[in-house]
Amino acid sequence: MTQTHIFQAEEIVAGYDNKMVIQEVSLVIPSNKISVIIGANACGKSTLLKTLSRLTKPVSGNITLDGKLISKIPSKQLARVVGLLPQSPIVPEGISVADLVGRGRFPHQSLLSGWTKKDYEAVAEAMRIMNITELANHNIDELSGGQRQRVWIAMALAQQTDILFLDEPTTFLDITYQVEILDLLTDLNRKHGTTIVMVLHDINLSARYADYIFALRQGKLIVEGEPLKVITSTLVKDIFGLDCMVIKDPVSGSPFAIPKGRYHVNNEKAP
Amino acid sequence: MVLVICFVLLGLCMLTSLAFGSRMVGLHDVIDGLFHPAADSYEANVVRKRISRTVFSLLCGAALGVSGALMQAVTRNPIADPSILGVNTGASLFVVCGIAFLNISTANQYIWLALAGAAITALFVFGIGSLGRSGATPIKLVLAGAATSAALSSLVMAIMIPRSYVMDQFRFWQVGSVGSANWDNISTFTPFLLIGILVAIFSAPALNALALGDDVATGLGVRTGTLRLIAALGAVLLCGSATALAGPIGFVGLLSTHVMRLILGPDLRFVIPMSALSGAIILTVSDVLGRLIGSPGELEVGVVTAFIGAPILILLTMKLKVRSL
Repeated sequence: MTQTHIFQAEEIVAGYDNKMVIQEVSLVIPSNKISVIIGANACGKSTLLKTLSRLTKPVSGNITLDGKLISKIPSKQLARVVGLLPQSPIVPEGISVADLVGRGRFPHQSLLSGWTKKDYEAVAEAMRIMNITELANHNIDELSGGQRQRVWIAMALAQQTDILFLDEPTTFLDITYQVEILDLLTDLNRKHGTTIVMVLHDINLSARYADYIFALRQGKLIVEGEPLKVITSTLVKDIFGLDCMVIKDPVSGSPFAIPKGRYHVNNEKAP
Repeated sequence: MVLVICFVLLGLCMLTSLAFGSRMVGLHDVIDGLFHPAADSYEANVVRKRISRTVFSLLCGAALGVSGALMQAVTRNPIADPSILGVNTGASLFVVCGIAFLNISTANQYIWLALAGAAITALFVFGIGSLGRSGATPIKLVLAGAATSAALSSLVMAIMIPRSYVMDQFRFWQVGSVGSANWDNISTFTPFLLIGILVAIFSAPALNALALGDDVATGLGVRTGTLRLIAALGAVLLCGSATALAGPIGFVGLLSTHVMRLILGPDLRFVIPMSALSGAIILTVSDVLGRLIGSPGELEVGVVTAFIGAPILILLTMKLKVRSL
Protein backbone atom coordinates (compact mmCIF):
# COMPACT_ATOMS: atom_id res chain seq x y z
CA MET A 1 0.00 0.00 0.00
CA THR A 2 1.24 3.47 -0.76
CA GLN A 3 1.77 6.24 1.73
CA THR A 4 -0.37 9.31 2.10
CA HIS A 5 1.17 12.50 0.81
CA ILE A 6 0.21 16.13 0.79
CA PHE A 7 0.86 17.47 -2.68
CA GLN A 8 -0.19 21.03 -3.13
CA ALA A 9 0.18 24.06 -5.35
CA GLU A 10 -0.06 27.60 -4.07
CA GLU A 11 -0.90 30.42 -6.44
CA ILE A 12 1.16 29.04 -9.28
CA VAL A 13 1.58 31.06 -12.45
CA ALA A 14 3.07 29.25 -15.43
CA GLY A 15 3.29 29.51 -19.16
CA TYR A 16 5.56 29.86 -22.15
CA ASP A 17 7.56 32.92 -23.07
CA ASN A 18 5.36 35.89 -22.34
CA LYS A 19 2.02 34.14 -22.35
CA MET A 20 0.99 32.99 -18.90
CA VAL A 21 -1.29 30.00 -19.41
CA ILE A 22 -1.85 29.17 -15.75
CA GLN A 23 -2.96 32.02 -13.54
CA GLU A 24 -2.74 31.77 -9.79
CA VAL A 25 -3.97 28.25 -9.40
CA SER A 26 -3.99 26.83 -5.89
CA LEU A 27 -4.96 23.26 -5.23
CA VAL A 28 -4.39 20.25 -3.03
CA ILE A 29 -4.26 16.84 -4.72
CA PRO A 30 -6.53 14.42 -2.82
CA SER A 31 -4.23 11.66 -1.60
CA ASN A 32 -4.93 8.07 -2.72
CA LYS A 33 -7.69 9.21 -5.06
CA ILE A 34 -8.08 9.60 -8.80
CA SER A 35 -8.21 13.26 -9.82
CA VAL A 36 -8.98 14.42 -13.31
CA ILE A 37 -8.23 17.84 -14.73
CA ILE A 38 -10.82 18.88 -17.31
CA GLY A 39 -11.26 21.91 -19.51
CA ALA A 40 -11.56 23.03 -23.10
CA ASN A 41 -8.67 22.93 -25.58
CA ALA A 42 -5.95 25.45 -24.73
CA CYS A 43 -7.37 26.15 -21.28
CA GLY A 44 -4.04 25.22 -19.75
CA LYS A 45 -4.88 21.78 -18.37
CA SER A 46 -1.81 20.17 -19.91
CA THR A 47 0.38 23.04 -18.75
CA LEU A 48 -1.02 22.68 -15.25
CA LEU A 49 -0.18 18.98 -15.25
CA LYS A 50 3.29 19.70 -16.64
CA THR A 51 3.90 22.31 -13.97
CA LEU A 52 2.72 20.02 -11.19
CA SER A 53 4.88 17.21 -12.52
CA ARG A 54 7.95 19.49 -12.75
CA LEU A 55 8.30 19.54 -16.55
CA THR A 56 7.64 23.27 -16.59
CA LYS A 57 8.94 25.60 -13.92
CA PRO A 58 6.28 27.91 -12.50
CA VAL A 59 7.02 31.61 -12.95
CA SER A 60 5.74 32.22 -9.45
CA GLY A 61 4.03 30.27 -6.69
CA ASN A 62 5.04 27.16 -4.82
CA ILE A 63 4.51 23.47 -5.42
CA THR A 64 5.14 21.36 -2.35
CA LEU A 65 5.24 17.67 -1.49
CA ASP A 66 4.69 17.02 2.20
CA GLY A 67 5.59 20.61 2.92
CA LYS A 68 8.84 20.64 0.91
CA LEU A 69 9.25 22.62 -2.30
CA ILE A 70 9.55 20.07 -5.10
CA SER A 71 12.30 22.16 -6.69
CA LYS A 72 14.36 21.62 -3.54
CA ILE A 73 13.92 17.84 -3.43
CA PRO A 74 16.77 15.92 -5.16
CA SER A 75 15.41 14.83 -8.52
CA LYS A 76 15.93 11.10 -8.05
CA GLN A 77 14.38 11.17 -4.60
CA LEU A 78 11.37 13.03 -5.96
CA ALA A 79 11.13 10.50 -8.80
CA ARG A 80 10.68 7.73 -6.24
CA VAL A 81 7.49 9.41 -5.01
CA VAL A 82 6.10 11.24 -8.03
CA GLY A 83 5.91 9.50 -11.40
CA LEU A 84 4.93 10.93 -14.72
CA LEU A 85 3.73 9.73 -18.08
CA PRO A 86 3.89 12.57 -20.61
CA GLN A 87 1.80 12.77 -23.74
CA SER A 88 4.23 11.75 -26.43
CA PRO A 89 7.17 9.76 -25.12
CA ILE A 90 9.80 8.55 -27.59
CA VAL A 91 10.09 4.85 -28.37
CA PRO A 92 13.70 3.93 -29.13
CA GLU A 93 13.54 1.72 -32.19
CA GLY A 94 14.05 -1.96 -31.59
CA ILE A 95 13.43 -1.74 -27.85
CA SER A 96 11.72 -4.69 -26.17
CA VAL A 97 8.79 -4.38 -23.80
CA ALA A 98 10.81 -5.63 -20.84
CA ASP A 99 13.67 -3.22 -21.56
CA LEU A 100 11.34 -0.25 -21.77
CA VAL A 101 9.44 -1.14 -18.60
CA GLY A 102 12.78 -1.72 -16.88
CA ARG A 103 13.87 1.83 -17.60
CA GLY A 104 11.27 2.94 -15.06
CA ARG A 105 13.60 1.59 -12.38
CA PHE A 106 16.17 4.33 -12.97
CA PRO A 107 15.40 6.39 -9.83
CA HIS A 108 15.81 3.31 -7.63
CA GLN A 109 19.27 2.45 -8.91
CA SER A 110 22.51 4.08 -7.85
CA LEU A 111 25.56 4.58 -10.03
CA LEU A 112 27.18 1.39 -8.87
CA SER A 113 24.36 -0.89 -7.77
CA GLY A 114 23.10 -2.18 -11.09
CA TRP A 115 20.00 -4.36 -11.17
CA THR A 116 18.80 -5.89 -7.91
CA LYS A 117 16.19 -8.53 -7.19
CA LYS A 118 13.80 -5.73 -6.21
CA ASP A 119 14.15 -4.19 -9.66
CA TYR A 120 13.26 -7.43 -11.43
CA GLU A 121 10.30 -7.94 -9.12
CA ALA A 122 9.01 -4.43 -9.68
CA VAL A 123 9.21 -4.85 -13.46
CA ALA A 124 7.46 -8.23 -13.35
CA GLU A 125 4.76 -6.79 -11.08
CA ALA A 126 4.22 -3.76 -13.33
CA MET A 127 3.90 -5.97 -16.41
CA ARG A 128 1.48 -8.25 -14.57
CA ILE A 129 -0.74 -5.34 -13.50
CA MET A 130 -0.85 -4.03 -17.07
CA ASN A 131 -1.40 -7.52 -18.53
CA ILE A 132 1.65 -7.45 -20.75
CA THR A 133 3.71 -10.22 -19.18
CA GLU A 134 3.40 -12.40 -22.24
CA LEU A 135 4.59 -9.51 -24.43
CA ALA A 136 7.82 -9.06 -22.44
CA ASN A 137 10.19 -10.06 -25.24
CA HIS A 138 8.25 -8.43 -28.05
CA ASN A 139 9.44 -5.40 -29.89
CA ILE A 140 7.41 -2.27 -29.11
CA ASP A 141 7.12 -1.66 -32.86
CA GLU A 142 5.00 -4.81 -33.19
CA LEU A 143 2.35 -3.71 -30.69
CA SER A 144 -1.02 -2.02 -31.18
CA GLY A 145 -1.71 1.45 -29.81
CA GLY A 146 -3.56 0.08 -26.80
CA GLN A 147 -0.80 -2.37 -25.98
CA ARG A 148 1.83 0.34 -26.34
CA GLN A 149 0.02 2.57 -23.92
CA ARG A 150 -0.15 -0.29 -21.43
CA VAL A 151 3.60 -0.74 -21.81
CA TRP A 152 4.21 2.94 -21.08
CA ILE A 153 1.97 2.87 -18.04
CA ALA A 154 3.81 -0.26 -16.90
CA MET A 155 7.06 1.69 -17.18
CA ALA A 156 5.61 4.37 -14.93
CA LEU A 157 4.37 1.65 -12.54
CA ALA A 158 7.80 0.04 -12.37
CA GLN A 159 8.90 3.35 -10.92
CA GLN A 160 6.69 2.44 -7.92
CA THR A 161 5.66 5.96 -7.03
CA ASP A 162 2.86 6.86 -4.65
CA ILE A 163 1.70 9.64 -6.95
CA LEU A 164 1.31 9.25 -10.70
CA PHE A 165 0.65 12.03 -13.21
CA LEU A 166 -0.65 11.09 -16.67
CA ASP A 167 -1.16 13.51 -19.54
CA GLU A 168 -4.09 12.30 -21.63
CA PRO A 169 -3.33 8.58 -21.31
CA THR A 170 -6.23 7.63 -23.57
CA THR A 171 -5.68 9.96 -26.53
CA PHE A 172 -5.63 8.29 -29.96
CA LEU A 173 -7.08 5.08 -28.54
CA ASP A 174 -10.33 3.39 -29.55
CA ILE A 175 -13.08 3.56 -26.97
CA THR A 176 -12.47 -0.08 -25.99
CA TYR A 177 -8.88 0.68 -25.11
CA GLN A 178 -9.79 3.94 -23.41
CA VAL A 179 -12.06 2.05 -21.03
CA GLU A 180 -9.46 -0.70 -20.61
CA ILE A 181 -6.72 1.78 -19.66
CA LEU A 182 -8.98 3.67 -17.27
CA ASP A 183 -10.08 0.38 -15.66
CA LEU A 184 -6.46 -0.65 -15.17
CA LEU A 185 -5.63 2.72 -13.62
CA THR A 186 -8.61 2.32 -11.31
CA ASP A 187 -7.35 -1.15 -10.33
CA LEU A 188 -4.06 0.47 -9.46
CA ASN A 189 -5.72 3.09 -7.34
CA ARG A 190 -8.11 0.70 -5.57
CA LYS A 191 -5.58 -2.07 -4.94
CA HIS A 192 -2.43 -0.07 -4.25
CA GLY A 193 -3.80 3.27 -3.19
CA THR A 194 -1.78 5.12 -5.83
CA THR A 195 -2.74 8.76 -6.12
CA ILE A 196 -3.54 9.38 -9.78
CA VAL A 197 -3.78 12.78 -11.41
CA MET A 198 -4.58 12.91 -15.10
CA VAL A 199 -5.79 15.11 -17.88
CA LEU A 200 -8.66 13.60 -19.87
CA HIS A 201 -10.45 14.89 -22.91
CA ASP A 202 -13.74 13.12 -22.49
CA ILE A 203 -15.96 14.72 -19.89
CA ASN A 204 -18.15 11.66 -19.43
CA LEU A 205 -15.25 9.27 -18.90
CA SER A 206 -13.82 11.87 -16.53
CA ALA A 207 -17.08 12.02 -14.60
CA ARG A 208 -17.20 8.26 -14.36
CA TYR A 209 -13.61 7.49 -13.41
CA ALA A 210 -12.67 10.53 -11.32
CA ASP A 211 -13.04 10.68 -7.56
CA TYR A 212 -12.29 14.37 -7.82
CA ILE A 213 -12.51 16.90 -10.64
CA PHE A 214 -10.50 20.05 -11.26
CA ALA A 215 -12.18 22.21 -13.92
CA LEU A 216 -10.10 24.86 -15.66
CA ARG A 217 -11.16 27.78 -17.78
CA GLN A 218 -8.63 30.13 -19.35
CA GLY A 219 -5.91 29.12 -16.96
CA LYS A 220 -8.01 29.52 -13.84
CA LEU A 221 -9.36 26.82 -11.60
CA ILE A 222 -13.08 27.56 -11.54
CA VAL A 223 -14.58 24.51 -9.87
CA GLU A 224 -13.30 21.50 -7.98
CA GLY A 225 -15.00 18.64 -6.20
CA GLU A 226 -16.60 15.25 -6.64
CA PRO A 227 -18.11 14.69 -10.08
CA LEU A 228 -21.63 14.19 -8.71
CA LYS A 229 -21.53 17.62 -7.14
CA VAL A 230 -19.67 19.63 -9.74
CA ILE A 231 -20.58 18.27 -13.16
CA THR A 232 -23.69 20.19 -14.09
CA SER A 233 -25.00 21.70 -17.28
CA THR A 234 -23.91 25.11 -16.00
CA LEU A 235 -20.33 23.92 -15.53
CA VAL A 236 -20.20 22.32 -18.97
CA LYS A 237 -21.54 25.53 -20.47
CA ASP A 238 -18.98 27.44 -18.48
CA ILE A 239 -15.90 25.52 -19.45
CA PHE A 240 -16.74 24.22 -22.92
CA GLY A 241 -19.27 26.86 -23.96
CA LEU A 242 -21.61 24.02 -24.87
CA ASP A 243 -25.29 23.65 -24.12
CA CYS A 244 -26.01 20.25 -22.75
CA MET A 245 -28.22 18.18 -20.57
CA VAL A 246 -26.70 16.30 -17.66
CA ILE A 247 -28.36 13.03 -16.75
CA LYS A 248 -27.48 10.18 -14.47
CA ASP A 249 -25.38 7.62 -16.32
CA PRO A 250 -27.54 4.48 -16.16
CA VAL A 251 -24.47 2.25 -15.97
CA SER A 252 -22.36 3.97 -13.31
CA GLY A 253 -24.67 6.49 -11.70
CA SER A 254 -22.17 9.24 -12.45
CA PRO A 255 -23.20 12.45 -14.22
CA PHE A 256 -23.46 12.15 -17.98
CA ALA A 257 -23.45 15.18 -20.25
CA ILE A 258 -25.45 14.97 -23.45
CA PRO A 259 -24.52 17.81 -25.81
CA LYS A 260 -27.18 19.85 -27.55
CA GLY A 261 -26.16 20.85 -31.03
CA ARG A 262 -28.14 22.86 -33.52
CA TYR A 263 -29.59 19.77 -35.17
CA HIS A 264 -31.19 16.56 -34.01
CA VAL A 265 -32.86 18.08 -31.00
CA ASN A 266 -36.37 16.70 -30.37
CA ASN A 267 -39.31 19.09 -30.79
CA GLU A 268 -37.08 21.90 -31.86
CA LYS A 269 -36.39 23.24 -35.28
CA ALA A 270 -32.93 24.02 -36.43
CA PRO A 271 -32.25 27.76 -36.45
CA MET B 1 28.74 -14.35 -26.76
CA VAL B 2 29.12 -11.10 -28.64
CA LEU B 3 31.80 -10.19 -26.14
CA VAL B 4 33.77 -13.36 -26.90
CA ILE B 5 33.55 -12.82 -30.64
CA CYS B 6 34.67 -9.23 -30.22
CA PHE B 7 37.66 -10.21 -28.16
CA VAL B 8 38.68 -12.88 -30.66
CA LEU B 9 38.37 -10.30 -33.43
CA LEU B 10 40.36 -7.86 -31.36
CA GLY B 11 43.16 -10.40 -30.92
CA LEU B 12 43.23 -11.10 -34.64
CA CYS B 13 43.38 -7.36 -35.33
CA MET B 14 46.35 -6.96 -33.07
CA LEU B 15 48.18 -9.83 -34.70
CA THR B 16 47.54 -8.63 -38.23
CA SER B 17 48.45 -5.11 -37.25
CA LEU B 18 51.79 -6.39 -36.01
CA ALA B 19 52.39 -8.71 -38.92
CA PHE B 20 51.15 -6.80 -41.96
CA GLY B 21 52.48 -3.63 -43.37
CA SER B 22 54.72 -2.22 -45.98
CA ARG B 23 57.08 -4.96 -44.94
CA MET B 24 55.52 -8.35 -44.27
CA VAL B 25 56.78 -10.39 -41.37
CA GLY B 26 55.89 -13.94 -40.36
CA LEU B 27 54.23 -15.14 -37.18
CA HIS B 28 57.60 -16.32 -35.98
CA ASP B 29 58.97 -12.78 -36.15
CA VAL B 30 55.94 -11.38 -34.39
CA ILE B 31 56.55 -13.75 -31.49
CA ASP B 32 60.23 -12.88 -31.50
CA GLY B 33 59.50 -9.18 -31.44
CA LEU B 34 56.96 -9.47 -28.67
CA PHE B 35 58.45 -11.98 -26.31
CA HIS B 36 62.17 -12.31 -27.04
CA PRO B 37 63.86 -9.03 -26.34
CA ALA B 38 67.14 -10.64 -27.32
CA ALA B 39 66.00 -11.39 -30.85
CA ASP B 40 67.56 -8.76 -33.01
CA SER B 41 66.47 -9.56 -36.51
CA TYR B 42 65.29 -6.70 -38.69
CA GLU B 43 61.79 -8.16 -38.71
CA ALA B 44 61.61 -8.38 -34.94
CA ASN B 45 62.48 -4.70 -34.75
CA VAL B 46 59.81 -3.83 -37.29
CA VAL B 47 57.31 -5.67 -35.12
CA ARG B 48 58.44 -3.76 -32.04
CA LYS B 49 57.93 -0.52 -33.91
CA ARG B 50 54.43 -1.60 -34.75
CA ILE B 51 53.49 -2.32 -31.16
CA SER B 52 53.06 1.32 -30.21
CA ARG B 53 51.18 1.98 -33.38
CA THR B 54 48.83 -0.93 -32.74
CA VAL B 55 48.21 0.04 -29.13
CA PHE B 56 47.54 3.61 -30.15
CA SER B 57 45.08 2.67 -32.89
CA LEU B 58 43.22 0.39 -30.48
CA LEU B 59 42.92 3.12 -27.87
CA CYS B 60 42.08 5.77 -30.41
CA GLY B 61 39.41 3.56 -31.97
CA ALA B 62 37.92 2.86 -28.56
CA ALA B 63 37.81 6.58 -27.81
CA LEU B 64 36.13 7.40 -31.10
CA GLY B 65 33.63 4.56 -30.70
CA VAL B 66 32.53 5.62 -27.24
CA SER B 67 32.54 9.27 -28.21
CA GLY B 68 30.20 8.53 -31.11
CA ALA B 69 27.86 6.54 -28.86
CA LEU B 70 27.77 9.38 -26.32
CA MET B 71 27.07 12.05 -28.91
CA GLN B 72 24.29 10.03 -30.46
CA ALA B 73 22.72 9.54 -27.06
CA VAL B 74 23.06 13.19 -26.07
CA THR B 75 21.57 14.55 -29.26
CA ARG B 76 19.18 11.61 -29.65
CA ASN B 77 20.27 11.70 -33.26
CA PRO B 78 21.33 8.39 -34.79
CA ILE B 79 23.65 10.03 -37.29
CA ALA B 80 25.44 12.24 -34.78
CA ASP B 81 29.20 11.96 -34.79
CA PRO B 82 31.98 14.13 -33.39
CA SER B 83 31.55 16.58 -36.22
CA ILE B 84 27.93 17.22 -35.31
CA LEU B 85 28.69 19.14 -32.15
CA GLY B 86 31.36 20.98 -34.13
CA VAL B 87 33.98 19.31 -31.97
CA ASN B 88 36.29 18.29 -34.81
CA THR B 89 36.20 21.71 -36.41
CA GLY B 90 36.80 23.43 -33.10
CA ALA B 91 39.79 21.20 -32.49
CA SER B 92 41.05 21.88 -36.03
CA LEU B 93 40.75 25.62 -35.63
CA PHE B 94 42.81 25.63 -32.47
CA VAL B 95 45.45 23.39 -33.99
CA VAL B 96 45.69 25.63 -37.05
CA CYS B 97 46.02 28.69 -34.84
CA GLY B 98 48.74 26.89 -32.89
CA ILE B 99 50.64 26.06 -36.06
CA ALA B 100 50.18 29.49 -37.58
CA PHE B 101 50.72 31.79 -34.62
CA LEU B 102 52.50 29.80 -31.93
CA ASN B 103 54.84 27.65 -34.02
CA ILE B 104 53.58 24.48 -32.46
CA SER B 105 54.51 21.25 -34.13
CA THR B 106 54.44 18.27 -31.76
CA ALA B 107 51.54 16.05 -30.97
CA ASN B 108 51.77 16.56 -27.24
CA GLN B 109 51.23 20.25 -27.77
CA TYR B 110 48.42 19.65 -30.22
CA ILE B 111 46.51 17.68 -27.65
CA TRP B 112 45.90 20.58 -25.30
CA LEU B 113 45.05 22.95 -28.12
CA ALA B 114 42.73 20.46 -29.73
CA LEU B 115 41.08 19.65 -26.41
CA ALA B 116 40.61 23.30 -25.59
CA GLY B 117 39.21 23.91 -29.03
CA ALA B 118 36.90 20.93 -28.80
CA ALA B 119 35.70 21.83 -25.31
CA ILE B 120 35.13 25.51 -26.06
CA THR B 121 33.28 24.66 -29.24
CA ALA B 122 31.15 22.06 -27.49
CA LEU B 123 30.29 24.51 -24.70
CA PHE B 124 29.53 27.21 -27.24
CA VAL B 125 27.30 24.90 -29.27
CA PHE B 126 25.67 23.67 -26.09
CA GLY B 127 25.09 27.24 -24.93
CA ILE B 128 23.50 28.27 -28.22
CA GLY B 129 21.49 25.08 -28.34
CA SER B 130 20.11 25.69 -24.84
CA LEU B 131 18.82 29.18 -25.57
CA GLY B 132 15.10 29.52 -25.22
CA ARG B 133 12.70 27.97 -22.79
CA SER B 134 12.72 24.36 -23.92
CA GLY B 135 16.46 23.96 -23.23
CA ALA B 136 18.95 21.94 -25.22
CA THR B 137 16.72 19.88 -27.49
CA PRO B 138 18.39 17.47 -29.93
CA ILE B 139 17.30 19.43 -32.97
CA LYS B 140 18.61 22.72 -31.59
CA LEU B 141 21.93 21.08 -30.68
CA VAL B 142 22.31 19.65 -34.17
CA LEU B 143 21.50 22.97 -35.81
CA ALA B 144 23.84 24.89 -33.53
CA GLY B 145 26.56 22.31 -34.19
CA ALA B 146 26.17 22.48 -37.96
CA ALA B 147 26.14 26.29 -38.01
CA THR B 148 29.17 26.57 -35.72
CA SER B 149 31.01 23.95 -37.69
CA ALA B 150 30.45 25.84 -40.93
CA ALA B 151 31.58 29.14 -39.41
CA LEU B 152 34.69 27.63 -37.85
CA SER B 153 35.80 25.78 -40.94
CA SER B 154 35.73 29.00 -42.92
CA LEU B 155 37.92 30.51 -40.22
CA VAL B 156 40.29 27.56 -40.56
CA MET B 157 40.52 28.20 -44.29
CA ALA B 158 41.02 31.93 -43.78
CA ILE B 159 43.97 31.34 -41.49
CA MET B 160 45.49 28.54 -43.52
CA ILE B 161 45.30 29.67 -47.12
CA PRO B 162 47.67 32.66 -46.94
CA ARG B 163 50.29 30.57 -45.11
CA SER B 164 51.64 27.68 -47.11
CA TYR B 165 53.79 26.27 -44.30
CA VAL B 166 50.70 25.92 -42.11
CA MET B 167 48.93 24.21 -44.94
CA ASP B 168 51.63 21.57 -45.35
CA GLN B 169 51.83 20.73 -41.70
CA PHE B 170 48.12 20.87 -41.18
CA ARG B 171 47.24 18.76 -44.16
CA PHE B 172 49.05 15.74 -42.82
CA TRP B 173 47.34 16.10 -39.48
CA GLN B 174 43.99 16.81 -41.06
CA VAL B 175 43.87 13.53 -42.93
CA GLY B 176 44.22 11.47 -39.80
CA SER B 177 46.98 9.03 -39.12
CA VAL B 178 48.00 6.71 -36.31
CA GLY B 179 51.39 5.90 -37.86
CA SER B 180 53.34 8.57 -36.07
CA ALA B 181 52.21 7.47 -32.63
CA ASN B 182 54.86 6.80 -30.01
CA TRP B 183 54.69 5.74 -26.37
CA ASP B 184 54.75 9.36 -25.26
CA ASN B 185 51.58 10.05 -27.19
CA ILE B 186 49.98 6.99 -25.72
CA SER B 187 50.75 7.98 -22.15
CA THR B 188 49.43 11.49 -22.79
CA PHE B 189 46.30 10.07 -24.30
CA THR B 190 45.45 7.28 -21.84
CA PRO B 191 44.19 9.41 -18.90
CA PHE B 192 41.75 11.20 -21.19
CA LEU B 193 40.56 7.90 -22.56
CA LEU B 194 40.03 6.44 -19.10
CA ILE B 195 38.14 9.44 -17.75
CA GLY B 196 36.01 9.63 -20.88
CA ILE B 197 35.09 5.96 -20.77
CA LEU B 198 34.25 6.11 -17.07
CA VAL B 199 31.99 9.10 -17.69
CA ALA B 200 30.34 7.17 -20.50
CA ILE B 201 29.75 4.01 -18.49
CA PHE B 202 28.36 5.88 -15.49
CA SER B 203 26.01 8.02 -17.55
CA ALA B 204 24.68 5.08 -19.58
CA PRO B 205 21.63 4.34 -17.35
CA ALA B 206 20.60 8.00 -17.35
CA LEU B 207 21.16 8.19 -21.11
CA ASN B 208 18.86 5.17 -21.43
CA ALA B 209 16.17 7.23 -19.70
CA LEU B 210 16.95 10.22 -21.90
CA ALA B 211 16.32 8.05 -24.95
CA LEU B 212 12.62 7.96 -23.99
CA GLY B 213 12.37 11.72 -24.39
CA ASP B 214 13.22 14.63 -22.12
CA ASP B 215 9.84 14.57 -20.38
CA VAL B 216 10.02 10.90 -19.44
CA ALA B 217 13.62 11.32 -18.35
CA THR B 218 12.68 14.25 -16.12
CA GLY B 219 9.90 12.15 -14.63
CA LEU B 220 12.44 9.44 -13.88
CA GLY B 221 14.57 11.92 -11.97
CA VAL B 222 17.17 12.71 -14.61
CA ARG B 223 18.44 16.28 -14.69
CA THR B 224 18.51 16.40 -18.46
CA GLY B 225 20.60 19.58 -18.78
CA THR B 226 23.30 18.38 -16.41
CA LEU B 227 23.35 14.92 -17.96
CA ARG B 228 23.76 16.34 -21.47
CA LEU B 229 26.57 18.58 -20.29
CA ILE B 230 28.48 15.79 -18.55
CA ALA B 231 28.02 13.27 -21.35
CA ALA B 232 28.94 15.85 -23.98
CA LEU B 233 32.08 16.76 -22.06
CA GLY B 234 32.99 13.07 -21.88
CA ALA B 235 32.50 12.82 -25.62
CA VAL B 236 34.60 15.94 -26.16
CA LEU B 237 37.40 14.57 -24.01
CA LEU B 238 37.46 11.31 -25.95
CA CYS B 239 37.17 12.67 -29.43
CA GLY B 240 39.21 15.82 -28.78
CA SER B 241 42.21 13.92 -27.49
CA ALA B 242 41.96 11.29 -30.22
CA THR B 243 41.67 14.03 -32.81
CA ALA B 244 44.65 15.89 -31.41
CA LEU B 245 46.96 12.92 -31.83
CA ALA B 246 45.62 11.28 -34.94
CA GLY B 247 43.82 14.05 -36.75
CA PRO B 248 40.11 14.02 -37.45
CA ILE B 249 39.17 10.44 -38.25
CA GLY B 250 35.60 10.15 -39.44
CA PHE B 251 33.04 7.38 -39.41
CA VAL B 252 34.55 5.25 -36.65
CA GLY B 253 32.19 6.62 -34.01
CA LEU B 254 29.23 6.30 -36.30
CA LEU B 255 30.01 2.84 -37.57
CA SER B 256 31.03 1.18 -34.32
CA THR B 257 27.94 2.36 -32.47
CA HIS B 258 25.55 1.33 -35.20
CA VAL B 259 27.03 -2.11 -35.59
CA MET B 260 26.69 -2.65 -31.85
CA ARG B 261 23.15 -1.34 -31.77
CA LEU B 262 22.13 -3.67 -34.58
CA ILE B 263 23.55 -6.64 -32.69
CA LEU B 264 22.73 -5.72 -29.11
CA GLY B 265 19.63 -3.54 -29.33
CA PRO B 266 19.22 -0.07 -27.90
CA ASP B 267 20.38 -0.59 -24.29
CA LEU B 268 23.26 1.87 -23.89
CA ARG B 269 24.63 0.04 -20.86
CA PHE B 270 25.81 -2.56 -23.37
CA VAL B 271 26.15 -0.44 -26.49
CA ILE B 272 28.53 2.11 -24.94
CA PRO B 273 31.24 -0.25 -23.65
CA MET B 274 30.92 -2.50 -26.68
CA SER B 275 31.36 0.50 -28.97
CA ALA B 276 34.81 0.87 -27.47
CA LEU B 277 35.65 -2.66 -28.61
CA SER B 278 34.12 -2.30 -32.04
CA GLY B 279 35.72 1.11 -32.50
CA ALA B 280 39.12 -0.35 -31.63
CA ILE B 281 38.61 -3.19 -34.08
CA ILE B 282 37.40 -0.96 -36.88
CA LEU B 283 40.22 1.56 -36.57
CA THR B 284 42.93 -1.08 -36.32
CA VAL B 285 41.60 -3.03 -39.29
CA SER B 286 41.43 0.22 -41.24
CA ASP B 287 45.00 1.01 -40.35
CA VAL B 288 46.16 -2.44 -41.48
CA LEU B 289 44.21 -2.08 -44.71
CA GLY B 290 45.78 1.33 -45.27
CA ARG B 291 49.21 -0.20 -44.96
CA LEU B 292 48.36 -3.04 -47.33
CA ILE B 293 46.63 -0.94 -49.95
CA GLY B 294 49.21 1.81 -49.86
CA SER B 295 52.17 -0.63 -49.97
CA PRO B 296 55.09 0.07 -50.34
CA GLY B 297 54.06 3.33 -48.66
CA GLU B 298 50.85 3.59 -46.68
CA LEU B 299 47.46 5.20 -46.80
CA GLU B 300 46.46 7.32 -43.80
CA VAL B 301 43.85 5.64 -41.69
CA GLY B 302 41.47 8.63 -41.97
CA VAL B 303 41.24 8.03 -45.69
CA VAL B 304 40.60 4.34 -45.18
CA THR B 305 37.84 4.77 -42.60
CA ALA B 306 36.12 7.21 -44.90
CA PHE B 307 36.41 4.76 -47.79
CA ILE B 308 35.10 1.71 -45.96
CA GLY B 309 32.94 3.59 -43.50
CA ALA B 310 30.80 5.48 -45.96
CA PRO B 311 29.66 2.60 -48.17
CA ILE B 312 29.15 0.24 -45.25
CA LEU B 313 27.04 2.80 -43.46
CA ILE B 314 24.93 3.34 -46.56
CA LEU B 315 24.54 -0.43 -46.91
CA LEU B 316 23.58 -0.76 -43.27
CA THR B 317 21.06 2.00 -43.54
CA MET B 318 19.46 0.47 -46.58
CA LYS B 319 19.52 -3.21 -45.71
CA LEU B 320 18.78 -3.23 -42.05
CA LYS B 321 16.72 -0.40 -40.77
CA VAL B 322 19.18 1.68 -38.78
CA ARG B 323 17.96 1.76 -35.25
CA SER B 324 17.33 5.27 -34.19
CA LEU B 325 17.58 6.35 -30.60
